[in-house]
Amino acid sequence: MAKKTYDLLFKLLLIGDSGVGKTCILFRFSDDAFNTTFISTIGIDFKIKTIELRGKKIKLQIWDTAGQERFHTITTSYYRGAMGIMLVYDITNAKSFDNIAKWLRNIDEHANEDVEKMILGNKCDMEDKRVIPKEKGEAIGREHSIRFLETSAKANINIEQAFLELAEAILNKTPGRDPQEGQDSTVHPSKTHGRPERQCCA
Amino acid sequence: MATYKARLQEYDALLSQDAINIRDLRALCFSGVPDEGGRRALCWKLLLNYLPLETNQWQDTLNKKRAQYRHFVEEMVVEPARLSKNGSGNNHVEDHPLNPNPDSQWGSFFKDNEVLTQIDKDVRRLCPDIMFFQRGTDFPCQLVVDDPEVERLHRRVTHTSLNATAVTRKGLGIKKMETSGRRSTTTEDYHPLPPGSEAHWEVVERILFIYAKLNPGQSYVQGMNEIIGPIYYTFASDPIIAFRENAEADCFWCFISLMGEIRDFFIRTLDDSASGIGAMMERLMTNLRHHDHQLWNRLRVQELRPQFFSFRWLTLMLSQEFDLPDVIRVWDSLFADADRFTYLIQVCTAMMVQQRDTMLQNDFGSNMKILQHYPPVDVQVLLSKATELVEGGELPPADPTTPDPPSS
Repeated sequence: MAKKTYDLLFKLLLIGDSGVGKTCILFRFSDDAFNTTFISTIGIDFKIKTIELRGKKIKLQIWDTAGQERFHTITTSYYRGAMGIMLVYDITNAKSFDNIAKWLRNIDEHANEDVEKMILGNKCDMEDKRVIPKEKGEAIGREHSIRFLETSAKANINIEQAFLELAEAILNKTPGRDPQEGQDSTVHPSKTHGRPERQCCA
Repeated sequence: MATYKARLQEYDALLSQDAINIRDLRALCFSGVPDEGGRRALCWKLLLNYLPLETNQWQDTLNKKRAQYRHFVEEMVVEPARLSKNGSGNNHVEDHPLNPNPDSQWGSFFKDNEVLTQIDKDVRRLCPDIMFFQRGTDFPCQLVVDDPEVERLHRRVTHTSLNATAVTRKGLGIKKMETSGRRSTTTEDYHPLPPGSEAHWEVVERILFIYAKLNPGQSYVQGMNEIIGPIYYTFASDPIIAFRENAEADCFWCFISLMGEIRDFFIRTLDDSASGIGAMMERLMTNLRHHDHQLWNRLRVQELRPQFFSFRWLTLMLSQEFDLPDVIRVWDSLFADADRFTYLIQVCTAMMVQQRDTMLQNDFGSNMKILQHYPPVDVQVLLSKATELVEGGELPPADPTTPDPPSS
């Protein structure tokens, strides 16, 4: 039981307004299924999935958080340990997009400085109800130098892609898994700067 | 069978007294209330202090409380709905949707819609594993469903976005207009029912909305829907029609009463106070340490913090951890507990202790899975175990220090 069946352990966190589909995204990724009637997440939820990247077995420990304000004291305590954060909004819900700024501030306040970030515009299968054009999502990604993808947990668009990209980004900055390595995070601006922030969906 | 019959008689004898002995009632209900004949619904009304112990006052109380609830519906649901439908207030002629005045009825109308949006999302995902809340109630609220002038609560939040018209140009001067209809069915099963009827989830939405209006400081917090769910289900399936047709009002008052006891769990600023959720989690871990030091230590070493699982267990009184019938059975005992949350702590402790052998072997991830998605269990066994685990150990100080942040 205690034997290590993986090479690396990455801790990821899903945040965003309530009802944008965080739990569905995670469920699609971990169980490859979709369920419209998920009960609301209270506090936090947790899933594990092992992936293989460049010959390395990577165990993803993914924390799914409740979106409502009340749970922030509970949920922000996970920011610190996270190596990657996915910030999700709903393309059919303008408010959830407007709140991205607020969520980014939360990340700045509570997460490690070198945490890898990604913005997801979920529910992109619901074209007829779309209120946030894809360009707006891309623009906010560019503005903050954060990767951006439109996803659909329902239609299974870009879900796996999103997790793999985020994991890859973390892998890129953990060359030897040297504990000292974390201190190098100050070079991170130059590290992320040149990176195209929108290797985005088709 | 004979013992079951005897048990029913025991209930009937107790419930037909002029003044019900609450201690006897608690003792009886603690080991589970029978479903038959609406006994559970009645006992819960007593245990939650909605009905007085004097039976001859029941009807009077019910009449008063139901009338009062009806008044709330008129004031908070029907009136604002007319305002929005007709576009004018009933007393301020100069009021209008863009009025910046804080007293503007329109201002509060829009503010309410924010709360309502959240409630609407949550009631449409209430107990999805059973086909109940999606179905129509036999007793829709007449004030709402029979009046075409009254806009339903969910309508207030689902049609606030404008219809989008996509214009595609094809070649010279040829335009194609594509108007997309609103609401191409979202959460398929929880759809609104036609005029004259309403689904159970709509009823729950109204109760939560009125609660939020009456408690503006706290408003609606996610999870309250999970607290109402089992109570409403129990009342709305009461075989006694006179009760069933008033399930909404009765549930509202019982919810108010229960929230009076657990409200602090839902208030963020009280997290670290003696009555807040932080102290409850502390009590739970203290009790675990007292009864199973080895397991407690295992969780500590694994840095598996109580917030990861027991925040939800305690806040929702375990309503998300078991199937509905089991939740209802657990709640019989929780409501019968005079020292309300002591037994909840014991049940939660039992849930961990029952899994100790596995958990002492498991790694962090597998243990998280067990605690977040509790394996199928016979709740009777769990509850008997819980009664053994009387709260012990040193109680936490009144102002517990905040737990360390999890390390990476």
